[in-house]
Amino acid sequence: MAATQTVSRPLRWARSPFYFNSSAQLIRIGRQRATTLGEFGVMLESCPDDSIFQHTFQTLREHHYLREGFTNDFAHWVFSACNEIGLAEQLAAVDVREYTSIKALRATLVKTVQSYLEKNPHSRERAAFEPFYFCASDTVVIPTPFVARNLAEFAEGLRQVSLHSIHYHYIEARVRLRLNSNDFSLWMEEELDLGSLADRINRIDIYTSTLEDVRQKILKIVQTAL
Amino acid sequence: MTPKQPTSTTTEPTELQDQQPGKSADAVIAPAETQQEERRGTGPATLPVRERRKYKVRETPPAPPPPPRLNDYEPILGRADIDELRFLARQLRGKTVKMVNSTAVGGGVAEILNRLIPLMNELEVPTKWEVITGGNDFFEVTKGFHNALHGGEYLVSKEIFDIFLMYNEQNRQRMEFVEDLFVIHDPQPAALIRSKRDRGRWIWRCHIDLSNPNAAVWDFLRPFVEQYDAAVFSSPAFTRQLPIPQYMFYPCIDPLSEKNKDLDEAYVQKVCDDFGVDRSRPILTQISRFDRLKDPVGVIEAYKLAKKYVDCQLVLAGGGASDDPEGAVVLAEVMAAAGDDPDIIILNLPPWSALEINALQRASTIVIQKSLREGFGLTVTEALWKSKPVVAAAVGGIPSQVIHKLTGVLVHSVEGCAYQIRYLLTHPEFAQYLGKNGREHVKENFLLTTNVKRWLVLFEIILGMTRTLKVA
Repeated sequence: MAATQTVSRPLRWARSPFYFNSSAQLIRIGRQRATTLGEFGVMLESCPDDSIFQHTFQTLREHHYLREGFTNDFAHWVFSACNEIGLAEQLAAVDVREYTSIKALRATLVKTVQSYLEKNPHSRERAAFEPFYFCASDTVVIPTPFVARNLAEFAEGLRQVSLHSIHYHYIEARVRLRLNSNDFSLWMEEELDLGSLADRINRIDIYTSTLEDVRQKILKIVQTAL
Repeated sequence: MTPKQPTSTTTEPTELQDQQPGKSADAVIAPAETQQEERRGTGPATLPVRERRKYKVRETPPAPPPPPRLNDYEPILGRADIDELRFLARQLRGKTVKMVNSTAVGGGVAEILNRLIPLMNELEVPTKWEVITGGNDFFEVTKGFHNALHGGEYLVSKEIFDIFLMYNEQNRQRMEFVEDLFVIHDPQPAALIRSKRDRGRWIWRCHIDLSNPNAAVWDFLRPFVEQYDAAVFSSPAFTRQLPIPQYMFYPCIDPLSEKNKDLDEAYVQKVCDDFGVDRSRPILTQISRFDRLKDPVGVIEAYKLAKKYVDCQLVLAGGGASDDPEGAVVLAEVMAAAGDDPDIIILNLPPWSALEINALQRASTIVIQKSLREGFGLTVTEALWKSKPVVAAAVGGIPSQVIHKLTGVLVHSVEGCAYQIRYLLTHPEFAQYLGKNGREHVKENFLLTTNVKRWLVLFEIILGMTRTLKVA
């Protein structure tokens, strides 16, 4: 049998390097607490933007090890404390990747709850098993020593960084960039002209993957281009 | 940096101090004399007549191991997480911290500070720990405050408030407040805030549940609390409405402590052998003080219901029965409920049994925490960290840890507890799935190192040294 020879493609150099950052968050306890679904609906409209961010985007970081059953704090509370399974399913189906602003995300959440309460008015005043406490998070950015100027360096950096870094670039980034994308895909598209690779990375399902899965899936995709 | 030891001979009693060292070495349940008295009809009628197996415990506390270094955590967390801590600490270089609480040994706060302070200093954020001192009268008052803040009845008077203020003032005069940050733990030293000047930021770390406080005590403390720059609570449910920012730090465990570090399989086997636990059959365990709020009798009832369908043993291990009269009564109730079932193993352990408890948790097939009321429930955290499937009551801080059917199962009754035991014993893959998720949940949220990070971030924010990410 003839030996196969692996030929590496020449490395494409990025116009600008990718700097891996990470982030740390601190949960700030808000003043609002809902004891019924009716109160919850009202507070969802008035709570600060960073509360919506905390209970949707940031909670994925706190539960990054789950592949199923947990998408955001709102759905979880409606299910576990209010026993409103239908509404919980609808809220769980709200995918943060489709939103580039908190305003738009909030509008969907509010509309979902209001619509449910219009159809199920008896659910409005029923006491929840435990209150929903609106929190927010203060997030600080932490630089890392990892810098990528090509895909090989990118893959190496991705292997080394913490899962918080992946959350920062892959999930939090959407609201920061106000794009339906993420830092990794954006860099590959804009700095390496690898649009197809960027698209494939952007399509990884964060709701059926752990953050470690996301890391491995990105690495696998990047490997195909090396 | 080592903490100052309290100069007073009196410190507030805590759960861990309930048992006097060296006193409770004879941990055998139902000593023979008691049983003979019962046979003669002179002893408590409810105690079972059979003699329980005697087991061995260490008679004296072992020497404490040296605190771990930051690098010791690297195999658990990974290099990147440790580097993130180092980066955050570098930002704070030159800033100094003082933490103050009311006891140097015993109790959860001292336990955490004993681990936290060395790590902060290793990170080159000079952190000094001081302990307030006081006489018996002060600690009686603060114990009363503690119970009252948990919602208990407490008759306040001017004299009581004067005692609190006098000792706070004494400590305030004795201490120097030259640091950049002051973290005051719990209500006992709360009035030290009177030393607040232009320089320095003050944080009140409240470890207790203030959701339903005695109004008179809270009204007295509130003006002090409101002078702090921020407050930190263990749960949003434990807070009060305050005009200062409130942050949430979950309570935490140290993965390298005696209670949580990895153990050799041979040691786990030895502990089981010593205590008469058969590892060839499923083991259900509840670790808790003999306290009605932990519902040990309910656990026995659940075990008995489950045992109709699945073979298992039950280990109830804890302390508090040796010199706490109520604990002894509860222990007697537990023994009566256990009857002569040889598969119920009741262990009244001395306070220095961390390694033994660790081994029992690791040997368990399922860990139960069927409390009727609970604070945060760190025994649940410990079990989750050991990748154990947990069946726990949905009370206190437990639902933060046990996400139903994802990191454990929540129950609301004896019957529910029994059913979940049966289900998990007959679905080991699901039990394993819960255990795996549970460990990851603790790793992300409830480890000491996570709290080190939270403190560093809070210090940066409160000193205005960092800009937080804004979303819109």
